[in-house]
Amino acid sequence: MKTERGKGHKFILRLTIIACLLFLTGCWGKKEVEDLAPLLGVGFDQGEQPGTFLVTEQFARPKKDSSSGAEIEDRTFSVEASSVREAFEKFSEVAYRTPFMGSLKVIIIGEDFAKSGDFNNILDFFQRYAEFRRSMYLVLAKGKAQDILNLKLRSGLLPAMAIKSNIEGGDEISVFPTVRLGHYLTILGTKSTAPIFPVVESVKSREGVEYKEDGKDEAGEIRIHGAGVMHGDYLADYLTDEEAKGYMWLENDVIHRLINTVDLNENSVKFGGQVLKANTKYRVKVNNDKMEIQYQIKTSIAIDEILGPQKQLSGLEWVELVKQAEKDFAKVIEKECESSIKKERELGLDFLGIGRHIEQKNSAYWKTIKDQWEAEIADFPISLEVKVTIHHSGMSSSSASNSGGEGQE
Amino acid sequence: MERISSHQFVVLGSAVLMGTTFLPIASIVTEVAGRDGWMSVLPGFVVGIPYGLMVISLLEQYPRKNLLQISDIILGKWISKIIGVVYIFIMCYFGGLLLGQAGDIYQSSIMPLTPIGMFYLGGILLVFYLVKSGIEVFARFSEILFPLIIIALVLNIGLSIPRIEHGELLPILSEGIRPIIWAWLKVAPFAMEYILFLAGILTFLPTSKRELVQLKRGVWRTVFLVGFLNMLVVLIQILIFGPGETVRMVYGLLVLGKMVEISRTVAGVESVFLGAWLGALIIKAGAFFFTVTWGLETVFNLKGLKWNLGVGVIFMGIAFKFTRGPDLVMEIGLVDNYLILPFAAVWILTLWGISRWKGAGIS
Repeated sequence: MKTERGKGHKFILRLTIIACLLFLTGCWGKKEVEDLAPLLGVGFDQGEQPGTFLVTEQFARPKKDSSSGAEIEDRTFSVEASSVREAFEKFSEVAYRTPFMGSLKVIIIGEDFAKSGDFNNILDFFQRYAEFRRSMYLVLAKGKAQDILNLKLRSGLLPAMAIKSNIEGGDEISVFPTVRLGHYLTILGTKSTAPIFPVVESVKSREGVEYKEDGKDEAGEIRIHGAGVMHGDYLADYLTDEEAKGYMWLENDVIHRLINTVDLNENSVKFGGQVLKANTKYRVKVNNDKMEIQYQIKTSIAIDEILGPQKQLSGLEWVELVKQAEKDFAKVIEKECESSIKKERELGLDFLGIGRHIEQKNSAYWKTIKDQWEAEIADFPISLEVKVTIHHSGMSSSSASNSGGEGQE
Repeated sequence: MERISSHQFVVLGSAVLMGTTFLPIASIVTEVAGRDGWMSVLPGFVVGIPYGLMVISLLEQYPRKNLLQISDIILGKWISKIIGVVYIFIMCYFGGLLLGQAGDIYQSSIMPLTPIGMFYLGGILLVFYLVKSGIEVFARFSEILFPLIIIALVLNIGLSIPRIEHGELLPILSEGIRPIIWAWLKVAPFAMEYILFLAGILTFLPTSKRELVQLKRGVWRTVFLVGFLNMLVVLIQILIFGPGETVRMVYGLLVLGKMVEISRTVAGVESVFLGAWLGALIIKAGAFFFTVTWGLETVFNLKGLKWNLGVGVIFMGIAFKFTRGPDLVMEIGLVDNYLILPFAAVWILTLWGISRWKGAGIS
């Protein structure tokens, strides 16, 4: 009896092993890594034919003579198609490698395409097809996405990788929002909040920065600057640099910031510094029988630069100067926030997510206003309270100045 | 006669109760209760405690007998035969659907080009081997694998924390308690799947007084462990995706696995998680296979390799019937809500009630 059972076991074991050997030696339809073309960036622009769009795809091609094996070259194509799958079909006819989507870092939406709408239809492929990850970044392009992806950057980086690096280094300056696909889809789900994207633009020499050009009149650098506000599928408007900075404060997205008071006219002494820590809280409360949202921004700043005082400060003067800096930095932050709030009211689009904040804190009240929220945005009471603490003023108490010694008047 | 220890009972029970509940649960409860859906998870699983205790108390009264045999004693031959046929049908049908789910999960997430039949075949071979090896081996298999399943789950949850969207859990209870009760009803079938497995495994459980106490404690532990973990799974998905997105996703945790990134260098670890969760699927499908064989043996006295092969073929047939993913997901929901929940709820309550009543009458 036992022997019979043992034989049965052995038979099943053998059968299992044979089946495993036959079927589990590798994935069906497997591709060797050298047969894959890793996709780094995708851009969307308006197509020439109605109902089509121009898809630009940037693939990485490993450099053959690379010493490290990690260097890549550009392989960028553009095709006009009426669906993303159709575009991939056309790419596949040209490329000898199979596109690998799991490496996609950034999706760029061209300005005209964003203005014309239909953007969410395009995104469906990226959130549905299993190879993609929701951690990829979304950006708007000033101009055409195709032009951005075709840039030859002075850094040698592919534009898609440069955008990724800029975004990932963005915490140091916190002047533009970071939007991943997953975040965008979550915001879409809230219904009351208008999505926002950072804006990428090419920078020619003397367009804010100067550099030595290679002779052609082509941009050699890119930057991320400001943001675009969406209304449903459409790009409604751009936020200026100041408005985008205000958005960052109000959204509690400031990690570190470089900040200065140069534009303040009230004081002859100007400060520059770095935000070390920032925290924004909000309260929804009743004020004069009306509901209002109150933002409380607390931040710690280190002064790195003082322009103006040309004398040695006493201890008391030093303390007073630091107090003055706190007030001035607070004014700058208030100004940035107010300009962002003003834009929100002008557009009638809640990109600051104030409706969601009200819903979170007072859902009963939110239910009474949510249907007419877009109209309410224009005059919904918002107050600001900014508290700046200067942690230190750097390595010196006073600015360097002539001591009035020999040779001085 | 094979026996499993009370510790093995806890681990095996947890693995069966857990199964792959963590994959669809967030979408199910959030669809009904929105961002409060997570609150319904633990109470939904807790339904398993009174039912589990009822089953153990029946074991206490009728040692070494499964619920079909106990039904035979309490309800009579013909009613118990009808119950047995329904039991076998439900367990066989649901087991086949679970096998189909293995194919659906793998094909839609990481291996889209592999023929779906290969997943079914791989799964059924493993299940078949476990069933052939017996309940002790199955319990030991669970003891090894269940910790790995939990580790994969906890790692997926933990490594997803940086992706949390601020304030997605608020407001709490904005729609009141009623949606949570409805969502609770959607979770209760998961507990009932476990109870139906208990109904069959009773003959392999120890029956001494001390061990019966341990078994009862085991039911509590099992339900709270699995309920709590599933609650965390729902919480993290609502916190990251928001309620709207959580509802939309078929297997949200797989999407979460794809988003895991460690120090912006390590990504694509979802395949590792899926490897561990394949074990969960095998355990669950195996449990249902076991119950079908026990049912066949009890009701029709059919046992042996050829009947096991027959069950395997039926499992494969059911899986192949539902190669269309959306059909499969819908069917699993229908069987859970309209077959497993009412059948287990009524059958066990009736058995327990009559046995108590008869017991009271005798005394």
